[in-house]
Amino acid sequence: MAELLYTENLCRRFGGVMATNKVCFSVNDHGLTSIIGPNGAGKTTFINIVTGKIPASSGKIFFKGNDITNKPTHDLVKMGICRTFQINSIFEDLSVFENLRIAKQAKNGGSLRIFSSKQSLRTVTEETWELLEHLGLKDLAIRPAKNLAYGDQRVLEVAIAMAGNPKILFLDEPTAGMSPTETKHISKLIKELSKKICVVLVEHDMDMIMSISDKITVLQYGSTIAEGTPEEIRNNQQVREAYLGKEE
Amino acid sequence: MNNTTTIPGIKKRFVPLKIFIVVLVFVGLGLFPFMSGNRFYISMINEMMIYGLLAMSLDVLLGYTGALSFMHNAYLGISAYVVGLFLIHISPASLWMACFAGIIFTSIVALPVGWVQVRTGGLAFALLTLAFGMMFHTIVWKWYDVTGGDDGLMGMPNPDITLFGWKLGSTGDPLAMYLFTLVIAAICFFLTRRIINSPFGAVLEAIRENEDRASFIGINVRRYKLLGWMLACLLAGISGALFILYKGYIGPSTMSAFAGAGVLMMVLLGGLGSLWGAFVGAAIFIYIQDYISTMTEHWEIFLGLVVIFLVLFLPTGFVGLGDHLKRFRKG
Repeated sequence: MAELLYTENLCRRFGGVMATNKVCFSVNDHGLTSIIGPNGAGKTTFINIVTGKIPASSGKIFFKGNDITNKPTHDLVKMGICRTFQINSIFEDLSVFENLRIAKQAKNGGSLRIFSSKQSLRTVTEETWELLEHLGLKDLAIRPAKNLAYGDQRVLEVAIAMAGNPKILFLDEPTAGMSPTETKHISKLIKELSKKICVVLVEHDMDMIMSISDKITVLQYGSTIAEGTPEEIRNNQQVREAYLGKEE
Repeated sequence: MNNTTTIPGIKKRFVPLKIFIVVLVFVGLGLFPFMSGNRFYISMINEMMIYGLLAMSLDVLLGYTGALSFMHNAYLGISAYVVGLFLIHISPASLWMACFAGIIFTSIVALPVGWVQVRTGGLAFALLTLAFGMMFHTIVWKWYDVTGGDDGLMGMPNPDITLFGWKLGSTGDPLAMYLFTLVIAAICFFLTRRIINSPFGAVLEAIRENEDRASFIGINVRRYKLLGWMLACLLAGISGALFILYKGYIGPSTMSAFAGAGVLMMVLLGGLGSLWGAFVGAAIFIYIQDYISTMTEHWEIFLGLVVIFLVLFLPTGFVGLGDHLKRFRKG
């Protein structure tokens, strides 16, 4: 199977610290890959580089065989590389509907129509409703996003990224701060999604990671220390040491 | 998907009422000079509409795109000078050509300025608008041979306002100029409203709400910020053309940082993000300036007090008054 996205010796330096150190990472066009690692391992930095939020110091990123290193974010999104954020990043004063509608519009085009109404973008409106219905946010459609419960905002965060019809979706701790029920709901959603597209998940919830991942990459001090199926990672000595410390 | 293509809009029911009010205000303003022959008020309302248009253009930038311009009056000034110079030196009767030249020239100046500014955000953007504005002010102030320097641009002819052979009157005639301003301001208001409610306007709002996220849904933030900036400068250019035709004169003080702060105050008085609020804000501001300055020359003190009062008790400006009263009654 051809690789959808892969990185070659990706590095990012912050002063003297190598936040990402020669990471070689690859994913296929569907399935769920998780990135785990202790705090400060460089998981979010890695996602930030791949999605164009911060530039790479060296190394290359390829998507569908094309070099996409340091391309502007909006171009990457148009290609189908979307992401969510660890801390909610939504359009607070806009309605839930508008949050998703604008994301759909950005994907489908028509943003330069200055004299027609928003409603004139028919497909955008229809697809937004479909997405709202699919995610169970339909009843909240007209509420301002800032008035939503935290868990619902978290779902909205994922929904905005999904609205872009991504080919690869990076989820940065989607369940952070969620209740167990909400976590279950969202992990089901993620698993379902990963049957159609490639999902890369950064998480701390080990139960969730172990139960839904197809593949796990472990980072420590910015470098990959292990890769494999959940079973292989569970039994990996180096990973145990990274998390629990060396046994004397 | 039959019921899902319509957007559930609670606001929708109130739209006819809104249109009714706007039409009423327009007709009322149109009839005003025929009912009252008071030159002072006709002239004052004329100025309110011109500054209202300028304040609205700043609202497009601040209230919808989320970018702050400290000296938006600079673009009114540039346009006004160009229109004036065109009428004085090139063709004293070509009103439309002069306005066109003024607006085009303003856009040509605004484009590179905007190009630089959109590469920054927040405070840096605001400071750059101040830097560029002061630069333009100084150029106009010191370039004596062309702009008249401190004395301002004098000897403006009064061209006739004509459209397709139909003559409204001379720009020197307060009534004709008043009606001309009213029609142009109304057209600009409706077109801008239309633009703000378009898919393009939605992109501007998304940028205001969350610039970072906007780029992560695939919006080229710099490009749309630049387009928003250009729209705001274009509207400021139109207000500048009206300004010089109405006053028949412009001096460098119109382009000063002090005057720029005034425009910002108008927008804040009226309230952000409604377009019509900017006109209300401009009206309050000009009223205080023109009316109270007939009683005392220290009108800025009263203006300051009104602004302080508003910031403390009505931080959302005049447009937030309705919500404020509702809450007050319930509370």
